[in-house]
Amino acid sequence: MSGTYFLPRDLHPMAWWGWALGLAVAASRTTNPWLLLTICAVLCYVVIARRADAPWAMAFRMYAYLAAVIIGVRVFFRIVFGGAEGSTIILRLPEIPLPAWAAGIRLLGDVSAESVLGGLYDGLRLATMVLCLGAANALANPKRLLKAMPPALYEIGTAVIVALSVFPQLAESVQRVHRARKLRGGAKGRRFRALHAVIIPVLEDALGRSLQLASSMDSRGYGRAGAVQARARLLTGTLMIAGLIGICVGIYATLDGSTPRFLATPFLVVGLVFGLIGFRTAGTRVRRSRYRPDRWHLAEFVTAVSGIGVAVALFATSSVDPTNLNPSLSTLSWPLLSWTPLAGVLLGVLPAFLTPPPALPFETEQVPEPEKVPA
Amino acid sequence: MIRRAAGVAAATVLVAALTPGTAHAIDQSKGKPGFCADGTGVTVVIDFQQLGGTTIVRCDPQTGRGTGLDALKNAGFQIAGVQRWGEAFICRIENRPSAVEEIPVKGNEHYQETCVDTPPAAGYWSYWHAGNNCAWEYSQWGVKNRDFTTGGFEGWSFSLNATADSNPVPRIAPVRPGTAGEGCTTAAEPAPSSNDVNEKQPGSAASGKTGGTTAAPGAPSAEAPATTPGAPNAGPANSRALPPPKPRPGGGAQGAPDPAKNVAFTGGEQAPDVNQAIKEQAGASDYAPWVAGAAVVLLAAAAWFTARRRKRAREG
Repeated sequence: MSGTYFLPRDLHPMAWWGWALGLAVAASRTTNPWLLLTICAVLCYVVIARRADAPWAMAFRMYAYLAAVIIGVRVFFRIVFGGAEGSTIILRLPEIPLPAWAAGIRLLGDVSAESVLGGLYDGLRLATMVLCLGAANALANPKRLLKAMPPALYEIGTAVIVALSVFPQLAESVQRVHRARKLRGGAKGRRFRALHAVIIPVLEDALGRSLQLASSMDSRGYGRAGAVQARARLLTGTLMIAGLIGICVGIYATLDGSTPRFLATPFLVVGLVFGLIGFRTAGTRVRRSRYRPDRWHLAEFVTAVSGIGVAVALFATSSVDPTNLNPSLSTLSWPLLSWTPLAGVLLGVLPAFLTPPPALPFETEQVPEPEKVPA
Repeated sequence: MIRRAAGVAAATVLVAALTPGTAHAIDQSKGKPGFCADGTGVTVVIDFQQLGGTTIVRCDPQTGRGTGLDALKNAGFQIAGVQRWGEAFICRIENRPSAVEEIPVKGNEHYQETCVDTPPAAGYWSYWHAGNNCAWEYSQWGVKNRDFTTGGFEGWSFSLNATADSNPVPRIAPVRPGTAGEGCTTAAEPAPSSNDVNEKQPGSAASGKTGGTTAAPGAPSAEAPATTPGAPNAGPANSRALPPPKPRPGGGAQGAPDPAKNVAFTGGEQAPDVNQAIKEQAGASDYAPWVAGAAVVLLAAAAWFTARRRKRAREG
């Protein structure tokens, strides 16, 4: 088995999505900066170790920038709008008086370490979740993901995947235009013109590519209604969308501890029921075959389980010791950390070692011992 | 390799420079154990009620005015707010109810207080105040929205499965030693006039910027109006959050406070170290943050090396 296990190949995209979503769920459970930083490091390492050379894989850097911006904005807002929660004042700014109708809003004024840290922890959590999304986009091939969708989910799945791959596509466009500009040379220093010279081609590129994608999908039969009646399609679509909304609300309420509980399980269950009915009605009428489908092997299993394991570990610990996962800021001290959640988070790095490397064009000649491969 | 080692070393030094400070119990440097001796400052009473534990009485000797939160903090108590409202809603006092403690609230015998959202109405710290020799009054104002009464009392009493009418009164009579029988001279506080959670008691230090050091002109007159503790009216989501503000008949119901009925209390001298207790309850380790830091540094270094190796491979 070990002979073929590590042969370079692309993993099933759902495995990477499972892994990344597991880490995102884990990140949503904690504001402990130790854990969040560890999750970020795990994400970066796995992405760099296992991403292919594809354009969407190179967009990870953009997600990292976005994450940094999120943290910056969070902290900045804490400073601008009333950062005086807590007693350790680190910065005294003149407070800008506001008219009476703006009561409750404070502009500038004293800034306390507690509120800045609160903003930092909160921003770090959101940034980590964005980074998880970026990792999934970098590691999973969106086209293969579309291929792996169950037939009943074609309509919604197509929309979701097109939406998910917009950002990587944009990032790739930016990189391409940037490279082209660099090769042409000149026009340095004039910031505004540079922006102008990047944005227009990028937007044009994005539009052109969307049209191209649409026509190519059209020619491959995506969105084909077939011989199904309009009423049946409406029913299926409504069921699916209602189900998905229910599932979204339910999952949100389950993950966010402060949402009323009646939104959690009931919505999830109702959404699942609607979704399954829609799934069934759609499935009975869709007949699609798949050309060389991606297989779900042991490596895929390891990847998905490691991500989900991280989420489970944090869920388990958060019911035992919430103090660790949400460090208190009322007295300034270093956030505490216990072993279980840390070990749980480090579980997420396993795919960097236990999965086959991606099939890279430039590494194909370095594949060791091809003779070991069973014929 | 050398560069990697240097990076690790640098990070280690950095982490070492930022190592956590030491924990402390009730902050004995703030406040004094027992009742306040004279008419300056405010006495803070913490009654754990059904949570168990000896009632603590401490004095915040600050002269001048301050909010209820200032009194609590300056008396040396260690408190925790809820994540949703911050310190506007006191969730734990001296780590009670702790995160691992099961409180038998109605409908959930195994409720554990996580201090994320507003605690349930069946198990929360009720906020009381009293002038010297006056009856305890349930505060209609939030802890950050009212001033303590100089020379008076601030009470915190854990309300378990009680209603707005049966909230347990702190079991320490609000009478400073040696002043019994002097009679209540403190006027009742006006209740809040709106449902605005940001409304401050008129003329209080709370309505100014910071509570604190300015001398109080004619201190005893305006005692604190009361909000329900915390930020109860905010947000339609917490409909089951808190009992609605309910003014209590001042002095009537309980009659004149009788110090003879006081329960046993301490000044909190022997109180366990809160940070230490949290650490033990959570199973936190001093080494875990170091391991986390080391893991982050190692992974970052490994990522950098892998990226460089790949880049070289690609280029040539």
